[in-house]
Amino acid sequence: MGTLVALNIIIPWIAALIIFFLKKDIITNVLTFLMLPILIITAYFAYIQPHPSLIETPKWLDLLVSIYDFGLLSYFFYQGIIRKNTLISILATIQIIFLIIVLLMMPHSQTPNIYVDDITVMFYLIVAIIGVPIAIFATKYMDYSEKGKHSFVAIVVWFLGVMNFAVSVNNIEWFFALFETTTLASYIMIGFRGDREAINNSNLALWMNQIGGIAILIALMIFIKYNGVYHFTELLKHPEFVSMAALGFLSLSALVKGAQMPFHKWLLGAMVAPTPVSAILHSATMVKIAPYLILRIAPVIKGTLLAKLLIITTGYVFVVAAVIALTQDNFKKILAYSTISLLGLMMLAAAVGTPIAVTASLILIIFHAFAKGFLFVEAGVLEKVFHVKYINQMRRLIERAPLTLMFIFFGFLNMTFVPFGTFIGKWMMIEEVSNFLQHGSYILLIIYVGAGSAFLSILYMKVLGISVRKAHGIEKINWVKLPKTFNFVSVWYYVWLLAITVFIAPFIVDFVVPIAKSIAGKPEIYATGLTLHMYDSTLYFWQILGALIILSLIHILPYFVKFKADVVHPYNCGEKFPRHMETWNFECLAKYEGYFVAFSIALFVMVVVLGGGLL
Amino acid sequence: MINVILTLLAPIIGGFVYGIERIVKARMQKRVGPPLLQPFYDFFKLMDKRPLMIHSLHALMGIMYFIAEWFALAVLLLGNDLLIAVFFHVIAVLALVIGASSVRSPYSVLGALRELMHMISYEPLMVLMVVALFLVVGSFDIRDVLAYEGYPILRLPLVFIAFLLTIPMMLQKSPFDIAEAHQEIIGGPEIEYSGPFYEALYTGKWIEYIYVFTFVFLFGGSHYWLGVLLVILAFLFINLLDNASARLDFRAMVKFAWGFLIPMAALNVILLALWQ
Repeated sequence: MGTLVALNIIIPWIAALIIFFLKKDIITNVLTFLMLPILIITAYFAYIQPHPSLIETPKWLDLLVSIYDFGLLSYFFYQGIIRKNTLISILATIQIIFLIIVLLMMPHSQTPNIYVDDITVMFYLIVAIIGVPIAIFATKYMDYSEKGKHSFVAIVVWFLGVMNFAVSVNNIEWFFALFETTTLASYIMIGFRGDREAINNSNLALWMNQIGGIAILIALMIFIKYNGVYHFTELLKHPEFVSMAALGFLSLSALVKGAQMPFHKWLLGAMVAPTPVSAILHSATMVKIAPYLILRIAPVIKGTLLAKLLIITTGYVFVVAAVIALTQDNFKKILAYSTISLLGLMMLAAAVGTPIAVTASLILIIFHAFAKGFLFVEAGVLEKVFHVKYINQMRRLIERAPLTLMFIFFGFLNMTFVPFGTFIGKWMMIEEVSNFLQHGSYILLIIYVGAGSAFLSILYMKVLGISVRKAHGIEKINWVKLPKTFNFVSVWYYVWLLAITVFIAPFIVDFVVPIAKSIAGKPEIYATGLTLHMYDSTLYFWQILGALIILSLIHILPYFVKFKADVVHPYNCGEKFPRHMETWNFECLAKYEGYFVAFSIALFVMVVVLGGGLL
Repeated sequence: MINVILTLLAPIIGGFVYGIERIVKARMQKRVGPPLLQPFYDFFKLMDKRPLMIHSLHALMGIMYFIAEWFALAVLLLGNDLLIAVFFHVIAVLALVIGASSVRSPYSVLGALRELMHMISYEPLMVLMVVALFLVVGSFDIRDVLAYEGYPILRLPLVFIAFLLTIPMMLQKSPFDIAEAHQEIIGGPEIEYSGPFYEALYTGKWIEYIYVFTFVFLFGGSHYWLGVLLVILAFLFINLLDNASARLDFRAMVKFAWGFLIPMAALNVILLALWQ
């Protein structure tokens, strides 16, 4: 097992180094492509090995990580100085001081530093299956008049290795190091284009994420002081003694990493970078650390005030981010807001912490990763091949970019509709929480989930409505020839999503449920054939298939069906119709954004102060 | 058995409901009204018309709306989970909205956008209603709800009233016929459909009647006479409201749903949860 874990972590690092130093087109392309089978195989072997397993690491690695930490923080400090941003330097200094304190306080521990369990292996698979295609996509994307292709691809591949490392560590001090490494990677990638906006946004990402780092260090100090432990496994062993304040700070760092309001601006800022950056940040890596962290501590915080406050905060973000998304007109920004929104839902489900809620959270993580990776890849294609960035440029996309629109359509369907994974996650959440209603009041959560999903649906329908609009007769569908790499990546996601959705019942029962079982106990979910059962409720296979067929007809058939009927212009009451039409921009909601953010700050403070029991 | 028949014959029964509705409405206005079978005469006349379309996508979405609506009803009546049936209804809305916004006609596009406003008004409330029924009955299964010994309406009066006031939003009745608004945007999503394609949309609306009134029926539990009584009362009330009120702005509708109906239903659910 140790070797496999090492392979999963080291292969991307080595590949990244090779790509970075050789800077040869053919090597970059072939090596990135080879990563796909290699990482899938190593991840798969890790999956079939018996786990959970604790893996001992040599002593010098401990020292190396600490030295690396100081190097990293000094680099941040230095960046703050050369970019003339005092905030970054101050935060880096605080972290250095805290880190010294932590290292001085840290008692010796026999617990191994690497811990590989079901969640870790799931993330290996997600990184291999969803993350690597984005790197493949980047190899072609960067050919379109972008500079620094090789270093860019190298950073993307390296990021995958960092993510694999981050989800395997047991020592929270190591976790801090990797948390900050993902911050570094996103900082470099967001600032990659080097123009003014990119620099500003990368600074934003850096200082916001450093707050998360500080929160981890504070949590670490409290853990060591009051519990004398600093490993995830040790925390889970004695849930009743663990300090709530420390868990509060750990949740705070998750909320920052997960771009929850008011720290959502850094993720929005990421859209100035080349599109593969957004794809990788939103789908397989970076933001997924947030639900990962909550899932790790879920058994400890379940049912506490902290969990309830987390539910209120993340549920609030779920709804409000969807509302704000309606007011946006940049396609990537819309996707970013919907990520923020769904991350809220994932963390909410993780914070509820019952077996079924944890299952729902895992399903949401997996499907959101697939769908968002897919959608951002398509956004990249739109940007580079069709020069479309804003939704009002998406008019007549059905004629200009039929294939891409079809993929976007499918991606959107995956984000809310029956029978796709995101819907199943929401369905499970509502039914699970309905059970608690009998002994308490989780009513707010149901309104959150109902409202948030309605808002997201109308958001997607609004965007799709623009792209299919045509005065009359959709005739000249222009099947533009797209680069093979783009098509490969799109079809890869499409087929995976389709296959998993058809076999969703066995997929959930055989893959997701064992993971949830290892975190929170066995959920009452089982399958008969392709039908899914949860408690007394059933999602029949004929329902899954029926919905899938209807939705497939809706998004594929328009290109192939030609009714034998006469084509006319719109009747429009005989009035002249305008040359072009706009769509509602929901301007009336935009003015509330300030209030929404202010309220979210209040919730944030509540999570730490009340949830952590600091009062 | 009855649910299979109801599902299969939904378009026909829905047509009769619509016929009755037109008569009831006419009598309320001291008119005689059309014959009961008028919707079917219309049906045959429309089928006979020369098919005209803007483009295939638009026409196809009309048909998909009909299919999705029928399938949602089948999920409601033949499946066993009410919550899933609520989410299936969204697929029908998707087809309608995509179709309506695919033509460059201001009335149609405006109608599609207003349809979305309808959705954010009634969708959360439907979810809340299903959860409320679960709280009373202890199951999301429609068969368990229909076998429940007590009277769900007595424990969920506020939820029932909230749902009653939501029905006009779902069935496009005044004061919430905002997406259709015949005098203003001439039918909204429907305006550009004609002949057989309009027929699909028209019949889809009939099925929606059955879909909505099935939920009303559920409030009677195992006392079917009560369910029937509630359906009839709701039907008369909706038509009375339709006749007696003027159309509101869509902002007023969203505010009414979010500021009044949802809190009211939530209050009922909270009180019930605390009581139990």
